[in-house]
Amino acid sequence: MGLTRREFLKTSVAGATAATVGMSMSETAAAAVKASEAGWQWDKSVCRFCGTGCGIMVATKDDRIVATKGDPAAPVNKGLNCVKGYFNGKINYGQDRLTQPLLRMTDGKFDKKGKFTPISWEQALDIMEEKMRWALKEKGPTGISIFGSGQYTIHEGYAAAKLMKAGFRSNNIDPNARHCMASAVAAFMRTFGIDEPPGNYDDIEHTDTAILWGANMAEMHPILWSRITDRRLTHKPMKVVNLTVYGNMSSDIADLEIIFSPSGDLAIQNYIAREIVKRDVVDWDFVRKHTIFATGVTDIGYGFRPVNAEKFHTAAEMEIVKNEKAHVIDKYEAIAQRRTEGEVVEQKNAANPVRHWHIRFDDFKTALEPYTLDFVAEVAKGDPDESIEDFKAKLQQLADLYCDRNRKIVSYWTMGFNQHQRGTWVNEQCYMNHLLMGRMSKPGDGAFSLTGQPSACGTAREVGTFAHRLPADMVVDIKKHRDMAEKIWKLPENTINPRVGSHYLKIMRDLEDGQILFNWVQVNNPWQNTSNLNHWIKAAREMNNFIVCSDAYPSVSAKVADLVLPAAMINEKWGAYGNAERRTQVWRQQVKPPGQARGDLWMILELSKRFKLKDVWGEQPVPGLKAEGFPDGKLPSVLDAAVKMGYNPEMTLYEVLFATPENKKVKWPDRIAKGRGNHIAELLGDGWFPEKALFEEYRQFGVGKAHDLAPFDVYHDDKVRGLKWPVVRRGNRWVETGWRFNEQYDPYVTKGAGFEFYGDFAKAIPTGNLDGVTDPKPVPLPGKAKIFFWPYVSPVEKPDANYDMWLCTGRVLEHWHSGTMTRRVPELHRAVPAAVCWIHPKDAEAKGLKRNDLVWVESRRGKIKVRLETGGRNKMPRGMVYVPWFDEGVLINKVTLDATCPISKETDFKKCSVKVYKA
Amino acid sequence: MNLSGVLVVAKPEWREQVVESLNALEGVEVHQVDADTGRIVVVQEAADIHAEIDGLKRIKALPHVIMAEMVYHYIGEDDKVYEGLPAELQDDREGSDACVVPPYLNS
Repeated sequence: MGLTRREFLKTSVAGATAATVGMSMSETAAAAVKASEAGWQWDKSVCRFCGTGCGIMVATKDDRIVATKGDPAAPVNKGLNCVKGYFNGKINYGQDRLTQPLLRMTDGKFDKKGKFTPISWEQALDIMEEKMRWALKEKGPTGISIFGSGQYTIHEGYAAAKLMKAGFRSNNIDPNARHCMASAVAAFMRTFGIDEPPGNYDDIEHTDTAILWGANMAEMHPILWSRITDRRLTHKPMKVVNLTVYGNMSSDIADLEIIFSPSGDLAIQNYIAREIVKRDVVDWDFVRKHTIFATGVTDIGYGFRPVNAEKFHTAAEMEIVKNEKAHVIDKYEAIAQRRTEGEVVEQKNAANPVRHWHIRFDDFKTALEPYTLDFVAEVAKGDPDESIEDFKAKLQQLADLYCDRNRKIVSYWTMGFNQHQRGTWVNEQCYMNHLLMGRMSKPGDGAFSLTGQPSACGTAREVGTFAHRLPADMVVDIKKHRDMAEKIWKLPENTINPRVGSHYLKIMRDLEDGQILFNWVQVNNPWQNTSNLNHWIKAAREMNNFIVCSDAYPSVSAKVADLVLPAAMINEKWGAYGNAERRTQVWRQQVKPPGQARGDLWMILELSKRFKLKDVWGEQPVPGLKAEGFPDGKLPSVLDAAVKMGYNPEMTLYEVLFATPENKKVKWPDRIAKGRGNHIAELLGDGWFPEKALFEEYRQFGVGKAHDLAPFDVYHDDKVRGLKWPVVRRGNRWVETGWRFNEQYDPYVTKGAGFEFYGDFAKAIPTGNLDGVTDPKPVPLPGKAKIFFWPYVSPVEKPDANYDMWLCTGRVLEHWHSGTMTRRVPELHRAVPAAVCWIHPKDAEAKGLKRNDLVWVESRRGKIKVRLETGGRNKMPRGMVYVPWFDEGVLINKVTLDATCPISKETDFKKCSVKVYKA
Repeated sequence: MNLSGVLVVAKPEWREQVVESLNALEGVEVHQVDADTGRIVVVQEAADIHAEIDGLKRIKALPHVIMAEMVYHYIGEDDKVYEGLPAELQDDREGSDACVVPPYLNS
């Protein structure tokens, strides 16, 4: 018997309330729990959902998960769970769980137009091998691709990246994390020279101010939110500010709610910086010692298809896409960028948007000059029903908080910043305001990028499952980095392809124009999560290509695929995730996967047995490849060098990359398992423990490079609840790092430096002024962070007479991502069964619509049908609608715009224009 | 329907009586009690925000209540009762082992 929706809501309200005030469980609940737990085996695990990384205790009985609860020993959540977290055990048991490989067939043969038919794993791997060989033959390494994930376990991501980069010599692997935190990554790398937040969640209990920039934490990160509300209730000076484009649940306890216009955040940040400078509260000691000022190219386009756009876009789409070549300056941009209204700016640096250079403080100050209160208020006011005076007063209050030297501040953001046409810039602007005041890397003072996926940090970023990355912040287009990876991976020199592969959206575009012929979807749902979907659905179904989708449930991506592989879920395999505060956490396999479902790692390893060195390490064509030491357009054969290293061309990638002599020394079974199984090791049956062996191999990348992880077994210690890297050995202890770049906490900071931003990426840059480079000679800036100036830029598509509303998309509390898992939990489904379109009641009235009406939401790209909601948790300003994306029945990404931050290539899902009318 | 989570703090020696009087209020349910600190988590159901605030005042007015504050606030957005799973997932609810190809995939 499930709870009724009302009872369910009440239980979750009670839970959330208790969570907020730091109570964990009632006496009656505790007693009831004790009685019902007889015969259960509890073990530590991690929540499957967002990037918070809550510890979960999992109970099993008779090879089934019978219960989960918040882990009281977990420092992240201290025993609490949000409403999704409660249901971690239930997501594995949906009725339509995939349990057998399925291939589109007609008359017993593969047919792209055929019906899904059950086949064996042997047959599934046969057809995958056949289609991969075909794609490699036709196009070389760039003809194949993987859509990876921020939900990969560390082992899975590592194996997938190694198979692609070291085996197939293809960099076409990119995770859905590209949609989620690529802008944060780019800004971390460019500002500090190294990825991921310096601080950690304990900042909450040390701070006086939490400022949310486009992060609805109350719904999206409820456990961290409970820590913020607790701080707000128990620490008198604590203030909470919610900067957002519409009123949401995070405003409930906010002292200040600022509704700003889409992209208005770029202007507000500069207003704050201008006030910091004008009020003369810059922390000059910190700024002089630890930072430099910088700016860069601004004519960088909007991340649209760079060539042949006309061939693939409709005329309506081209009205917006044409901005990729040239953009007409509007009245706000004219002031913000010191240009003239109507000026046509060729987007000359669209292909190379990352160039930046050192400037003087005087230039920085000049650049900020236009961002007066009057100007910024006009640009950034987001609620047409608010008076300009009220809005100005709020901006001043915000500046007062930032300019108060005695106040500790943490800024938090997620998708509002990251999914932004200038996402990298707006992240960097946030660091600008923290660095100017010396508010960085100190307990309670910092700028903290939250993540949306459980291992966006641990796998996608740290392992480097991106088209340009290698483990430990290294990249494929730097020779020194390739050398190091080739050394650890024991590869001949020049095995790794130096040409950056296709990023997530580009993989879709490559499928559309026939450049990529084979794609494998792992642990995510690209045909629901990518903007401008109509193009990609057509590309998948109508082009001559082969798409494989591994998933636990029949997702939209499974539906458009040719081959569906049934995947094991969390707790059915060994795993490790890394959360947003650099905490690496692990779990053991608790139960066996159902039917023929298998862990993604097993699928990767099995596929690697199908290819020999002679198939992939000979000369390979790579169109467009141009790199020192490589012939143009080609990867050289490394087979002779491989033979010299003791390899044989007949050896399989499994033997060379995975089941290596070193790795086979790591034996399964292992006493760390405490009697639990490992379906992958058992199916491979060759005696090694792949998860442990691969983790230990992967560790070598980070040791001594400020990315240090502890050994596998340390994380599996019963007392350990994850460790924040760098984890450095002191005596016989493994010590984690709370605040990086701060001498008090971080062993990598030079003694006596106080602070040191020691990351070495992009740490030698030219010198210039606001108009460009004046001295191209790169000047090194060791140990320093960059304070960037970036101007306001208007959104590329704005409402007009025809498409008169802004559309913003995102999540709701009860569902996670594309809903593939959460929609299988009846309680969660009942709470929010279908996506709705939130609209201001006056907008609805003006359009002759009322609540619950079925409406079309239509853009230049597509339309979807959805019910209208005029009340509830989200309070839209007039002129904007919000539609969440979890519902596969309401594929809002058919409507959204495929503009990205040109630097990070992360899509802006937060702003495009639509019309709303009765269906 | 609005739901609010209210933290009530009672004098520890009067805890039981306060729990009883809270449960006697219409629309109020006690969900958790912390014996050591006298902290009580209450969920209150009310038709609208005015009724919610009136309800909170009513709780504050109970004897031996030291403090009562709204901590969590849920605004009901739809009074329809939703049942079951998404329609496209319902087709194969019986005999999941036998159902190897979810109908959704071939629909």
